[in-house]
Amino acid sequence: MGEQRIDKTKLDVLKELANIGVGNAVTSLSTMLNEEKINMDVPSARLVLLQDVPELLGGAELPVAGVYIESSGDADLTILFVLPLDSGVNLISTLVPGSNGLFDEMGISVLTEVGNILTTSYLNALSFMTNLLLIPNPPEVAVDMSGAIISTIMAEKYMVEDEVVLLSTALKSMKTRIEGHILIFPDAGALKKIFTLLGIR
Amino acid sequence: MEIVTVKVKISDMAILREEGILVTVGLGSCVGIALYDPKNKVGGLAHILLPDSSLFRNRINSLNSAKFADTAIPLLVHEMVKAGAKRRFLKAKIAGGGHLFLFQKSGCSVGEKNVKAVKFLLNKYKIPIKGEDVGGSQGRTMKFYVNSGKVVISTVGGIEKTL
Repeated sequence: MGEQRIDKTKLDVLKELANIGVGNAVTSLSTMLNEEKINMDVPSARLVLLQDVPELLGGAELPVAGVYIESSGDADLTILFVLPLDSGVNLISTLVPGSNGLFDEMGISVLTEVGNILTTSYLNALSFMTNLLLIPNPPEVAVDMSGAIISTIMAEKYMVEDEVVLLSTALKSMKTRIEGHILIFPDAGALKKIFTLLGIR
Repeated sequence: MEIVTVKVKISDMAILREEGILVTVGLGSCVGIALYDPKNKVGGLAHILLPDSSLFRNRINSLNSAKFADTAIPLLVHEMVKAGAKRRFLKAKIAGGGHLFLFQKSGCSVGEKNVKAVKFLLNKYKIPIKGEDVGGSQGRTMKFYVNSGKVVISTVGGIEKTL
C-alpha cells in the first residue's frame, strides 16, 4: 500500500488485532440475539487488488445491506458490516418482531444500530490494545449491489492504490439464520501508526 | 456464433470491434463511460473510480490511468482510434455517479464530482453524450452492445432502462 511495505509479519499482527476486535463484536451481537451462539471464522488479513474487492462477497451484483462506519481520532479505519438481504430481514425481524424488514425506516434504523454496536465494540477492543483514540463517526446504511456499496466507499476514502489491505471475517447465527461479513479497511496512515505503536518496522 | 461478453472491472477498460457485449457491474459513485463509433463499429467501456488524478500524483509512483476520469477518457479515445475508430464519429453514453448512503456529508459527493468531470472531459474532446443515467441513490449495472451502440442499465429490484 503506497510506499509502505506490508509483509507477512505485519499481516499476522493485523490478523491478531482483528481477531480480538471481531470477537468482541460477535459477543455483542450474541447478546442482542438473546445469547444465541454465533459462529465466526478466524479473520483474514490480506493484500487484495483494488479491482477485485467489489467481487469478494459472492459477486459485485449481489444485493446486500451494508452498514458503514469510519473511525476518526488517532487512526482512520473504515468498517463495513455487510449482510445478504434475507439475513438483514431475519436480523431485523428477530430484534423487532412484526417489522417490515428492510423496507421501512424502522428496519433501516434497527440495522444501523446493530452495525453501530458491532463496530463500536470492535473499536473498543482495538483501542484498548493499542492505546489509540478511535472515535466512531455516525453509521451510514445502504441497500444495493455489494460492488456498488464497496466501490462507493473506496471512492469516498480515496483508495487510489492498486492494492488495499483488507481484514475480513464471516459470521453466522444458526437459529435465526443471519449471515454477515465484517470488512475493515485501515488506511495507510492508520497502518503506520499501529505498527509504530507496536514497535514493528 | 457465440456473442463475446467482456467484463470490465473497476478502474479498468476494454474495447471490442463489430460484435459483443461490454459489461460493468456494480457502479455506485463510479461512472461507466461507453464510447462508440457507429460507422466503424468500435466500442469501448471504462469504469472510473475518481474524477481527478492530479491530487494523487505525489502519493504514489505509478497511477493506473483507467482509475480516473481525467486520464481514462483520453486513454480510451486513443485506444479506440488505434482499434479503427475515428475521433469525429465518437459518441458517448454514461451511467453511475450515484450517492448510495442515506446521510451524505456536506458538499458534493464523489458521485457528483465524477459525473461533472466526465461531462467536462467529453465536452473538451467534443464527444456528444447520446444518453445518460446518472445521479440518484442507486447502484447500476451497465451492458453495452457494441454492434448497435445500445446500453442497458439495471438496478437492484428495478426495471431495465435502455439508453
